[in-house]
Amino acid sequence: MSDTSLTPLEHELAELIIDTLELEDVSVDDIDPDEPLFGDGLGLDSIDALELGLALQKRYGIKLDSDAEENQTHFASLRHLAALVEARRAS
Amino acid sequence: MRVDLPLDNDTVGGPIVVDWRGWLPDGSVTDPRVMVEEKPPAHGVPAMLKRRLTPVGRALCDMLGALKAADDEAPIVHASQHGDGQRPLDMLDTIADGEPVSPTRFSLSVHNALAGVYSIAFHHQGSISAISATGEEWPALIQEAEGFLAEGAPRVVVVWSDSTIPERYRAEDRCAEHPSAVAVVLERQGHEPALPARSLSAGKRFGRAQPDHLINELMAHTPRDR
Repeated sequence: MSDTSLTPLEHELAELIIDTLELEDVSVDDIDPDEPLFGDGLGLDSIDALELGLALQKRYGIKLDSDAEENQTHFASLRHLAALVEARRAS
Repeated sequence: MRVDLPLDNDTVGGPIVVDWRGWLPDGSVTDPRVMVEEKPPAHGVPAMLKRRLTPVGRALCDMLGALKAADDEAPIVHASQHGDGQRPLDMLDTIADGEPVSPTRFSLSVHNALAGVYSIAFHHQGSISAISATGEEWPALIQEAEGFLAEGAPRVVVVWSDSTIPERYRAEDRCAEHPSAVAVVLERQGHEPALPARSLSAGKRFGRAQPDHLINELMAHTPRDR
């Protein structure tokens, strides 16, 4: 069984996702940190990906190249997203 | 095949009203064909799509759902003078402030966005178009419907919606005071008693008519059990 408890950063990112993407019926507890954010998991789509990219830029100063292949890895799950923010956030 | 396509201002001929639904959020209307909720439920729209709809968009989905537009993939024409109102205009402020524009807002600011979300939610693969006609939306809708009917479509669903816009964008008195929307099923002549779409005066008050005027006329001219 995977550990579904969230780190403070993951919790913060889950709130960012819910607020930014207006996920009215979703709470932080509904987001499994290891589940896919897009498609089958949380069910986000390509417009959400762009919106989330903009939010990361505004909040953490992280600029993602929209064509970069590693974006798929960064956006794969909440845990991956937290790892990206940890590594790239503007100090 | 020769098709007569009357495009003059006669009130006879042309498409007739078969059924309709309306949305008047601040009215005290009790007609079951008129929704009065500030935020219509958008029945049948998945939550992940519903979150992107404004109240006007939610009303549009509910009206088209109630008219079962997707059942026979009837052509849909959506007319709106100002589209989704405040939302596209907010983007201009964002740009003026030098801020990046929200991709979601941008994707929903195009004129056919609301009907587009409806088509995804209801798997409606028939023809859907969106028009703006500087206040003459109703006659424009009738004209579009006449085209589809002349081409052989058994029925056309026309949707007319409008929203308020910020004060600074208002010209003269052409802006809607309240949001409202109406969806009307139009067919060719043949139904009795016929209510010709062009007999409704919304098309004659050039530049002044709003969807709520049409709703009031439709309530007056069509019995509830039709």
